[in-house]
Amino acid sequence: MKITEQRQGAVTVLKPEGALVEADAPALKARLTEALSASLGRFVVDLSAVPYVDSKGLEALVDVTEEMGRVGQALRLCAANKTVREVLDLTDLATLFDHFDDANAAVRSFL
Amino acid sequence: MDAVPIDTLKSAPRSRLLPHGESVVASAGLALAALLLCVMSASAWWVHHTQQTVLDASRATQTRAAGDLLAETAEVLLAQDDLSAARRLVADTARAHEFSSCRIVLPDGQVAASLDVSENKLHQLPAPWPQARPGGAPLSADASRTSVNIPLAIPGRGQAQLEISSASSIGYGSEWEAMAGVGTIGAAALVVLLALYRRMRRKLRAMGAIREALAAVAAGETAMAALVIGPDLGPEAGAWNQVIAETDRVRRQAVAERAREALGRRQESSSDLDAACDALPQGLLVVDEKSCVKYANGAAAGFLRSKRDDLAGKDIGKFLDVAGVVQAVRDVATGASRRRQTLDVEQKDDGPAGVLRFTVRPVRRDDSGTAMITIEDITQQRAAEEARHRFVAQATHELRTPLTNIRLYVETAIEDGEADPAMRSKCLNVINGETRRLERIVGEMLSVAEIEAGSFKLQTDDVRLDQLFEDLLADYQQQALDKNVTLTFHLPPKFPVVQGDRDKILLALHNLVGNALKYTPETGKVDVVVEATEKLLSVQVRDTGIGISDEDAEKIFDRFYRARDPRVAKITGSGLGLTLAREVVRLHGGDVTVESRLNQGSTFTITLPMKTAA
Repeated sequence: MKITEQRQGAVTVLKPEGALVEADAPALKARLTEALSASLGRFVVDLSAVPYVDSKGLEALVDVTEEMGRVGQALRLCAANKTVREVLDLTDLATLFDHFDDANAAVRSFL
Repeated sequence: MDAVPIDTLKSAPRSRLLPHGESVVASAGLALAALLLCVMSASAWWVHHTQQTVLDASRATQTRAAGDLLAETAEVLLAQDDLSAARRLVADTARAHEFSSCRIVLPDGQVAASLDVSENKLHQLPAPWPQARPGGAPLSADASRTSVNIPLAIPGRGQAQLEISSASSIGYGSEWEAMAGVGTIGAAALVVLLALYRRMRRKLRAMGAIREALAAVAAGETAMAALVIGPDLGPEAGAWNQVIAETDRVRRQAVAERAREALGRRQESSSDLDAACDALPQGLLVVDEKSCVKYANGAAAGFLRSKRDDLAGKDIGKFLDVAGVVQAVRDVATGASRRRQTLDVEQKDDGPAGVLRFTVRPVRRDDSGTAMITIEDITQQRAAEEARHRFVAQATHELRTPLTNIRLYVETAIEDGEADPAMRSKCLNVINGETRRLERIVGEMLSVAEIEAGSFKLQTDDVRLDQLFEDLLADYQQQALDKNVTLTFHLPPKFPVVQGDRDKILLALHNLVGNALKYTPETGKVDVVVEATEKLLSVQVRDTGIGISDEDAEKIFDRFYRARDPRVAKITGSGLGLTLAREVVRLHGGDVTVESRLNQGSTFTITLPMKTAA
């Protein structure tokens, strides 16, 4: 799985490309955990290039957001497509994350 | 006993169900049957024995009475020497009383009269009365259960003895008959028992299984699943399983209840206030008058890269390496300061880079010395602030340049315009160009403001692409000529009319073409290649300019970002053009990409999905 990284001011936008499935979950989690420890949580996950998420992928996202929850933060997701949003809603996990329409809106939320 | 089908039960597919009960039932049935047989036999024997004893006693009494009567009459008859009458008497009495033998024996052992005719050998009584033989059995009265001996004293003669033997009324034959009867009754009872057992077997199996389950409970079995018995063992098994299921449910409920209670206690222990403090993204520390931490929320622990438990009770100076904050806390603790103090601390050394804002303030207005520290991550605000400052400086510069030009050319037109119409015309042209430039800059700034406010929206309408590119060419042709850059538009013969926001698409194209001209030195070349298919519009803006480094290529679309190249710094620009271009194109569902080589040129590509007008 390719994860591109963009900086917008002091905020990092991480954009995974491709379905977030079992094989990619550990890499994503490691990348997000690294971003968390390197930036005090100033990062955003852009899901615009993620067609769908399976349980392991979801688990990776939940693990990171729970880690962030201990310091009063939540993982900021943006541009999730309908399929991904449905998965989050059906599993009642949507509330664990902060959702934004696009990366700019997510970045602005840090102001 | 019938064969107990244990095997059939054992081969049953239910692995955890008890297949037992059968062996218990079998042995119990066998033991019961044997016991029943023994009891019946013993009862029969006892009844028989008692009856025999009573009958024997009664018989003995009868025999004795009959014997006494016979003895008296026989003495009279023998005294009268009437042997035949005595013999008749003996025979009649014996038959009448069903004696097995009855005879009168003389002292020498000769038989005077007997029931058995073959023993009556004497023809007459001996004249000298015989005496008892030496060594012979003395004549005496004797009685047992079955025989009676009565001594006779015959007047004028001597002594003799009457011997009566009476057979038991119930003989061996009848005893065997009785035993056979008992056997028959026992066998019949066994058959009945067997039939009953067959009928009761399922019920008994259920009981056996329940008994074994209870034994398992007594042995410490706690898994309810192991105590469930086969449901096909009848209603008792069903009821038992129901009891087990109910017990299991109650036990689970108890466990769940305990868990809820424990959780409840935990939740109670962490009050709403604690939870609220932990949900704060800002770090919160409460420090007592000795500068020791009284409370730290989760975010504070995160910012200080520590654990809450480690922070509690610790002196603030030991973990906070910011002299200003520590001093501010000490000031509050000692009462030296009652004011709020704010310190922005840039973290650079180790750990995450960023700017943290520490605010120290006293918790109460009295002199308790307790201080509160809030920690905020203001890195992004700082970055945005810096970008805004940069933008204001650049925007001022951008606005000032055309304004200066306009002022200068207006002055020239006023001074020389009257005399020189050509000069006036040139001045007006420049003023016109600079005014449009100003308009564009103001438009960009407005768009940036809209993006900032989140209200940047499209006003969709029919867009005639041919006109749009004509306008674009008209805007830049003169500029290209002035700079001696070859600007070529490669347009398709026919354009469709598409749906979109004309002004914003034009703004995006302006930025790309304007940039290309801006960063391409003299004698360079700018090509605008437009391709339109049914589904996609692609615009490539190729230049032979200064190019963009790989490092900058990633960032040029960021707001207010300008490449680090010193050549770029000499050229005015807001750092907003590409951000706006990408934002606009993305709002139309497309994207802007860049390929570039430093000092060789860049190619910006806009791809827009076509939404043709209906």
